[in-house]
Amino acid sequence: MQIAVCVKQIPDPGDPPRFDAQTYRLDRSGAIILDDSDAYSVEMALRLAEVAGGEVTAVSVAPDGELSGLRTALAMGVQRAVLVSDPALAGLDALGTAKVLAAVARRVGAELVLAATESTDGYTGTVPVQLAELLAWPALSFARHVELEDGLLRVQRQTEAGYDELRCPPPAVVTVTAGVVEVRYPTMKGILSARSKPVDQLSLADLDLEAAEVGVLGAGQEVVGIEDAPVRAAGTMVTDDGTGHVAVLEALRSWKVI
Amino acid sequence: MLSRFPVVGGVAIVALALSGRRLWQLGQLVTSGAPAPGRKGRWGARLTREVREVVGQQRLLRWRLPGLAHAFTFWGFLLLGLTVIEACGDLFSASFALPWIGHAAIVGFLEDLFACAVLVSLVVFAAIRLRQNPRVLERRSRFFGSHNGVAWLVLGMIAAVIVTLLLYRAAQTNTGHFPYGWWAFASHGLGRALAGLGAGTNRTLETVFVDLNLIVIFAFLVLVVYSKHLHIFFAPINIAFARTPRALGALDKTPVMDLEELTEESRFGAGRIEDLTWKQRLDLLACTECGRCQSQCPAWATEKPLSPKLLVMALRDELLASTRPAGDHAGGSEGRALVGAVVEAAAVWSCTTCGACVEQCPVDIEHVDAIVDLRRHEVLMASRFPPEAGTMLRSLENRGDPWGMGSQHRLDWTSGLGFEVPVVEGRIPDEVEYLLWVGCAGAFDDRARATTQSLARLLHLAGVSFAVLGPRESCTGDPARRLGNEFLFQEQAKANIAVLKEVGVRKLVTSCPHCANTIGAEYPELGLEVEVLHHSELLAQLLATGRLDAGRLPASVTYHDPCYLGRHRRVFDAPRSVIDGVEGVELVEMERRREQSFCCGAGGARMWLEESSGTRINRARADEALGTGAAVVATACPYCAVMLDDAVRERGRSEEVEVLDLARLLERSGASGRGVGAG
Ligand SMILES: Cc1cc2nc3c(=O)[nH]c(=O)nc-3n(C[C@H](O)[C@H](O)[C@H](O)COP(=O)(O)OP(=O)(O)OC[C@H]3O[C@@H](n4cnc5c(N)ncnc54)[C@H](O)[C@@H]3O)c2cc1C
Ligand code: SF4
Ligand code: SF4
Repeated sequence: MQIAVCVKQIPDPGDPPRFDAQTYRLDRSGAIILDDSDAYSVEMALRLAEVAGGEVTAVSVAPDGELSGLRTALAMGVQRAVLVSDPALAGLDALGTAKVLAAVARRVGAELVLAATESTDGYTGTVPVQLAELLAWPALSFARHVELEDGLLRVQRQTEAGYDELRCPPPAVVTVTAGVVEVRYPTMKGILSARSKPVDQLSLADLDLEAAEVGVLGAGQEVVGIEDAPVRAAGTMVTDDGTGHVAVLEALRSWKVI
Repeated sequence: MLSRFPVVGGVAIVALALSGRRLWQLGQLVTSGAPAPGRKGRWGARLTREVREVVGQQRLLRWRLPGLAHAFTFWGFLLLGLTVIEACGDLFSASFALPWIGHAAIVGFLEDLFACAVLVSLVVFAAIRLRQNPRVLERRSRFFGSHNGVAWLVLGMIAAVIVTLLLYRAAQTNTGHFPYGWWAFASHGLGRALAGLGAGTNRTLETVFVDLNLIVIFAFLVLVVYSKHLHIFFAPINIAFARTPRALGALDKTPVMDLEELTEESRFGAGRIEDLTWKQRLDLLACTECGRCQSQCPAWATEKPLSPKLLVMALRDELLASTRPAGDHAGGSEGRALVGAVVEAAAVWSCTTCGACVEQCPVDIEHVDAIVDLRRHEVLMASRFPPEAGTMLRSLENRGDPWGMGSQHRLDWTSGLGFEVPVVEGRIPDEVEYLLWVGCAGAFDDRARATTQSLARLLHLAGVSFAVLGPRESCTGDPARRLGNEFLFQEQAKANIAVLKEVGVRKLVTSCPHCANTIGAEYPELGLEVEVLHHSELLAQLLATGRLDAGRLPASVTYHDPCYLGRHRRVFDAPRSVIDGVEGVELVEMERRREQSFCCGAGGARMWLEESSGTRINRARADEALGTGAAVVATACPYCAVMLDDAVRERGRSEEVEVLDLARLLERSGASGRGVGAG
C-alpha cells in the first residue's frame, strides 16, 4: 500500500511568531521543525506500513526548498519525501494547500493519506478534509488507531465518550489525533540514511497546477491585518472569610452562567 | 627422595599448563577488544599510580579494617614468594637456602611475621564476611550476589598455604634443615611443640608439608584463574591502564559524530560484548566482587535493579561465555544484546552517573563510562529508552533546553534585579572579567532562578564585572550525553563552542556543576579550552580576598556535596569555606559527605526520567540531611536543590527546614562588598 503522510514544516511554535509588516506573511527565518502534530501521523503511517507492508512518502508544501522537517520524517523511517516549493505559492491559503497536496497524492499514487487533525501553528483543521473532498475520497477524522485488515481500513475514531469503530475501503484520508501514539526517536542509522533517501522537489508546473488556482492569486482568503491578542486582564481575588460562596454565585450570575 | 618428583612435579605441570592456557585465553579475550583510545602514554603517572594503588594499596586502605587485612595479605603473598622458592629448593636438597639472603635473620623474621599477619587477616576477612552475611542482610550486604562460596574457598586455600608453610618450617627447625635462626619466631615456636615427636617423625612431617604446601599453591593457582580471584593478575594491569587521574568528570570516549564521517554501518556504544574495548574487558576481569561499589550506589540503596557490581559480573560472565575472540564472529553467530539479555534495561536506566562506584572501586573499574556506552547503543542504535526521555530530547533539540522553554525566556531572570546585566553582543569587552553561564535550570527553573539572581547580585556587590550570553546560550548537552544521545550532545556542544569562540570567552563562571563539568572537562575534547569556575569557587575567592564580606546568619547548616561538583570536579572545600565564612553558621556534616556523598537522584539525566521503583533517592538523601537537625540544607547545584527541596516538602518539613543554594545563603546573611557604592 502506498501511504502519503502530510507534514507541515513550521517555525518553532515556542518562539513568538513574527510577521512581515506589509504582507503579513510569517517570518520563517528561524529554525524550522517538523510540526509535532504531524510526528504522530508519521509514526502511525510507519507502524501501518510495518504491519501491512507498503511504502510511506512524506509530503510537504513549504517555501524556499525547506527540508528540515522532512529530514526528521525521513530519519524516523519514511522511505521518501516530496516537497512542493514555488514562489507562486506565496500567500497560499488552506484550500490552496489542499489543492497542491491533492495533486501530489495523485502523482505518488497514494491509496491512503494520513494527516494531523490540525496543525500547531495555523490550526484551521481544514486542509485534510478539503484534500479528501478534492480527491473525492472519504475523510476519517480523529483517528486514534489505524489498521488494515483484509484490504479494509479499520479506524478507531476518538470521541468524547470513547471511540467509534469505522471501516472503509481505501483510498481514504485519515486524520490522526495528536498524542495517541508514542513517537519513535530517530536512530543514528535513520539520521544517516535520511541523507541518501530520495527527495522530490516539485514546482507548480511539475504538478500541472496553474498559479491562478493556488497561491495568492487563487486564494479565497486574505490576511488583512494582524493584531496582538489582548493581554488577559488580571482576575479578581476574593479572600474567603466565610462568605466566599456568595461572591462566586454573584460572579456566575453576572456572567449569566446561572 | 626422588619419589616426590612425580607427584609434586606432576601437580605443578598440570597446574601450570591449565592456568597458563587459561591466562593465554583470557589475554586473547582482552586484546581482541575494540580499540581504547588514550590508554597509552603518560607512563610516569601510570607508574606512580601502580606504586600507590597496588604496592601501597592506597584505595583499599580507605576502608581501614578490610584495607589493612588486604594489604597484609597482599604484601604477605609478595614476600612469601620467597618461601615458594625455598620449598621448591627443598625438593632437590633438604638443606637448600636462598642464595645471598638465605640465612639472613631479617628474611626469616619477615617471612614468619607475614605468615602470621596473613593468618590474622584471614580471621578478619572471615569476620567481615560473617558480619556482612548476604543470607541475613540480603541486599544490604555488599557481598549480595557475589560468588560467596568461592570466596570462602579462597580464604580456606590461603589458610592452607600458610598452615602447611608454618608446619614444614617448624619441622625443619627440628631436622636441622631450617636456614634461619630464632628471628623466625613462629617457625621456631611451633617447632618446639613438634620437637617431642622425634627426629624421624619431624623428617616425615617436613617432607609431607613441603609437598603439601607446593600442591596447595599450585591448586590455588588453578582456582585463581578460574574464579574472581583472577584480580590477582588482572587488577595490577587494569590499574596501569586506568584513566588518569580518575574515571570521573569527563566521559571516557568522545566518538566521532560528524555525519560526514559516518556511514549507515557505523556502530555506536556497546550493544554486544564485541563492542567492548580491551580496557572495558580488562575491567571485567579485574573485578574482585568486593561490593564496595554496590554499597555506595544510590540506585541499589533505594531498591532499584541496578548494582554496579552485578552489572560488571553479568558483563564478565557474558565475556567469558564468548570465549571466541571478537572478530571471529564475522559471519558467525552474533553475541546477545547486552541490554535486555545480559543486563536488565531498567538497571541501565537507573544509574545517576553519580560516580560513587568509580570512587570506591579498588581496582579502578570505570562503571560510569560502561553504563553510558550501554545507553549510547540503546539510544543511537536501537532508539530504546524510557519514553519520557523522548520529550526531553525533542525539547532540547528543538528549543535548546530540556524543559522546552525556548531561548526567548533566557533573560527573564534579570528583571527586577535593580541593575543591568550586560548581554554579550559581539565580543566580550576587555573590562568584562567573567562570562556568567546561567545554564538551563538557572534560567528556567524558579528555584534555580533565585540562585542565579543571588549570584548576580553578589557579583555586582563585589564589583566583579560579568556578562551573559542571553538567548545565544543553549543547553551544554549534558542531559543528552548522560542519557546516551551523543549525537545531540555534540550538536549542542559544537553550537555552543562556536558561540563561545565567537565572543572570545576567557573565564566562565556557572552555578551549575553539570555545565561546569561539560564545558570545563568535556568541551576541550571538541576544541574549546576555557577556564571554568563554579560559583562556589568564585565566591570563596571573593570572600578570601575581601572583595566580599559575609554577613551573619545564626543557623545550623548541613551541606550536600553535589556529585558533579564533588566527586566529578573535586571541589569539596570551596563551598564549605563559603558556608563557614558566614558568622553564626554552625556546619553540621552528614555521615556521607565529600567523596562519599550520596546522590540527590537527578544526575545522569534521571532528572527527566520517572523514578517508579523503590524508595525515591531524593527522599533517602533528604532524610539524611534532616537527620542532622540542621535548619538549612545548603547545596551548590540547581538539580540537587530542586530534588532535596521537593523531598523536604514531601516529608512535610519545609516549614522548619530550608533548602538553599550557598549563593542564596550567603546573600541572606547580608553579605556586603567592595564593588557598588564602596570607596
Ligand atoms: C508557501 C506557503 C506560503 C504561505 N503563505 C501564507 C500567507 O501568506 N498567509 C497565511 O496566512 N498563511 C500562509 N501559509 C500557510 C497556509 O495558509 C497554511 O499552510 C494552510 O492554510 C494550512 O492551514 P492550517 O495550518 O490551519 O492547516 P490545518 O488544516 O490545521 O492542518 C492540518 C494538517 O494538514 C496538513 N497540512 C497543512 N498544511 C500543510 C502543508 N503546508 N504541507 C503539508 N501538509 C500540510 C498537515 O498534516 C496538518 O497537520 C503559507 C503556506 C505555504 C506552504
Ligand atoms: S554511578 Fe552511581 S548510580 Fe550509577 S552505578 Fe555507580 S554508584 Fe550506582
Ligand atoms: S567493581 Fe570494583 S568495587 Fe565493585 S565489586 Fe568489582 S572490584 Fe569491587
